[in-house]
Amino acid sequence: MAKSNMQAQTPESSTRGRELKALGFIIFLLFPALTIAGIGFYGLVIWMIQAFGGVVSH
Amino acid sequence: MKWLTNLWRTLNQPTKALTLGAVSISAFIMGIIFWGGFNTALEATNTEAFCISCHSMESKPYQELQETVHWSNHSGVRATCPDCHVPHNWSRKIARKMEASHDVWGWLFNTVNTPEKFEAKRLEMASREWKRFDRDNSLACKNCHNYNSMKWETMSPLAQKQMKRAAEIDQSCIDCHKGIAHHLPEMGTARAPELIAEVGSGVSSVETNQSYYSALTKPLFFTDKGDVEAGTLNVATKVKVLDTQGKRIKISIEGWRKKIGAGRVIYMDFGVNILSAQLTKDAAETEGVIQTFEEKEDPMTGLKWQRVEAQIWTEKDYLLTDLQPLWGYAKTTFRSSCSVCHTQPDEAHFDANTWPGMFQGMLAFVNMDQDTQALVQKYLQEHSSTFVKKEH
Repeated sequence: MAKSNMQAQTPESSTRGRELKALGFIIFLLFPALTIAGIGFYGLVIWMIQAFGGVVSH
Repeated sequence: MKWLTNLWRTLNQPTKALTLGAVSISAFIMGIIFWGGFNTALEATNTEAFCISCHSMESKPYQELQETVHWSNHSGVRATCPDCHVPHNWSRKIARKMEASHDVWGWLFNTVNTPEKFEAKRLEMASREWKRFDRDNSLACKNCHNYNSMKWETMSPLAQKQMKRAAEIDQSCIDCHKGIAHHLPEMGTARAPELIAEVGSGVSSVETNQSYYSALTKPLFFTDKGDVEAGTLNVATKVKVLDTQGKRIKISIEGWRKKIGAGRVIYMDFGVNILSAQLTKDAAETEGVIQTFEEKEDPMTGLKWQRVEAQIWTEKDYLLTDLQPLWGYAKTTFRSSCSVCHTQPDEAHFDANTWPGMFQGMLAFVNMDQDTQALVQKYLQEHSSTFVKKEH
């Protein structure tokens, strides 16, 4: 009874599925999106610095 | 919302089914794929094919480039769009890509999709690009061209002289070489955008019996309403406001004219060719426009001059209470434009009647719109040896 109850809560296959989904979400969507946003913001900052304070050296 | 809490719960505890190896390897490989893909996409936007995929870039700038030495030359090296228009180092390239989002806007709203619209915006676009070149001392040119690699002896003596001087101060190439890859904007017909930006568009309210200075070359009219032009008022000319009617004001222009022809040109003072206003023949002959006073003969030329006052209408915009901003702008422009190619002559090196010839002779070498030309010439004349007594 106890064993079957535990299995119902965390069946091996659904845990695996959940973890795979979470990993997929992170590496295919979240981190690429964050990186692109980060680079975009970095570019924007340099653009603004150049627009108001001249050229950046690197 | 529930999927998010579930996701967070999954991510916030050690994996139960996946191994640490599987997670780290997949993250590592994905990292490589992402970065590779990102740079491939970035490089794809840095190709000529990408630039000219927009009609407005293909139809004008690209066609113009093909007439130039940067397209085809005896050494077979070609400069494509990104070579000059995108910085080569990574950080500044990213910044430029962000900046280019502005171009996407223009593409969406068809800002320059016809030749007419393109020409109308050419000066604005070119100015932006010149500014970019100014800012990093023409780095885009210097990625290929280098003062140290120039073979002086194959240059003409004049080119040698100019180039050596430029090399000494590591001068920005665009200072002299504007319009080498695309056509130059029509500088002559545009109203001085930089001058207006510097001195503004004039006082907000004009008071009667006050004196003002014109901040641009302004059209003159016979009446307070009609469209019939009676001539032009030169920039930086002192006028007195006599009357206001709606958007028009009646002004008085005092000065001297030569007693030849219709005498339609009014100069600032006796014997000096500093232009104040130029009336049409009709205006000069119309009763009541010009009042005449005493006459004097110029011993230098033998010409009779006559003191006059013209009363005529003009728009009430572009009038300033103070001449200083105009002279300030003219001085900066004179210093920056003229010292590019030769040693700067002092303003008081010539007299008021010599400057126009000198100045007009040099105009072919610089980019100056008509208002700025008129202003700088007037600045030079009014600061010439005629007014400033100085050893030279």
